[in-house]
Amino acid sequence: MAMRTRRKSETPSGEIPMTPMIDVVFQLLIYFLVTMKPVDVVANLDVFRPSSQEQREQTETPPKMIRIAIYADGFTINDKPVRLEDLEGLIVKLASYDKAQTIMIMCTAQSPHEKLVQVLDLCAGAGLKNLSVVSTN
Amino acid sequence: MKRRKKRAVDNAEINMTPMIDVVFQMIIFFVCTADMDRKAFDEKIRLAMSPHGPAEEKKDPRTVTIEVDKKGNIQIFRTPYSFAAMQQTLHKAVAEYGQTVPVVIRGDAETKHADIKRVMDAASGAGLWKIKFAATKEVAGTVKK
Repeated sequence: MAMRTRRKSETPSGEIPMTPMIDVVFQLLIYFLVTMKPVDVVANLDVFRPSSQEQREQTETPPKMIRIAIYADGFTINDKPVRLEDLEGLIVKLASYDKAQTIMIMCTAQSPHEKLVQVLDLCAGAGLKNLSVVSTN
Repeated sequence: MKRRKKRAVDNAEINMTPMIDVVFQMIIFFVCTADMDRKAFDEKIRLAMSPHGPAEEKKDPRTVTIEVDKKGNIQIFRTPYSFAAMQQTLHKAVAEYGQTVPVVIRGDAETKHADIKRVMDAASGAGLWKIKFAATKEVAGTVKK
């Protein structure tokens, strides 16, 4: 009987004290939570580049093609100037006829990259897949 | 008699030490890998917003990400590249993995298209017609509408 009680009392003294370790773990957890910066969700917009061979063949452009031009100060769609707000509606309307049609995006050298991404974003939003980016001067 | 004693100890408590060791290892692993992912890109580049764009798919390990900052400087994996060096890198990537290597261009919103065009032309020159532009779909911390 005496043996029994001694054995029981021995176990707690053999254990590792958990409290300080849990304290440290919480400190670490709080540190990482505070230092962690959430990462932005990144989108990838696919485009096609005309190959040099294709460019030579493309003298006769197929008629079913939407041409969007991007200038440093605005956009044109099929040679008509539009504002960005109106462009969205137009793209959605044109996309409703045929989603597989080719969109040729002509971008001038001086326009900021943001404008190109805006147009690509609208096309992606309308579900258009065949996007070609052509650079002009 | 001996057998009974052993079983009693087993039932009384689970040995925590190895589990805690493993948990710590995992914490350190995840912290290190999360950091590495962030360090691969220049945080000064402010990507354009693209709320409709398709979210980044599962990453192809062959992906070549070319960063172009406001002034048109080219960086790959935070290493500044000259235009010729970038061309060489692309050619090497094509030679090694074929023409299906995904190319992602991370251009700053204010970068002139001429600078992006240079990079795109280098990619087409190497035989890569399919190019992706990186854009911010969702700023972290904003509530989805």
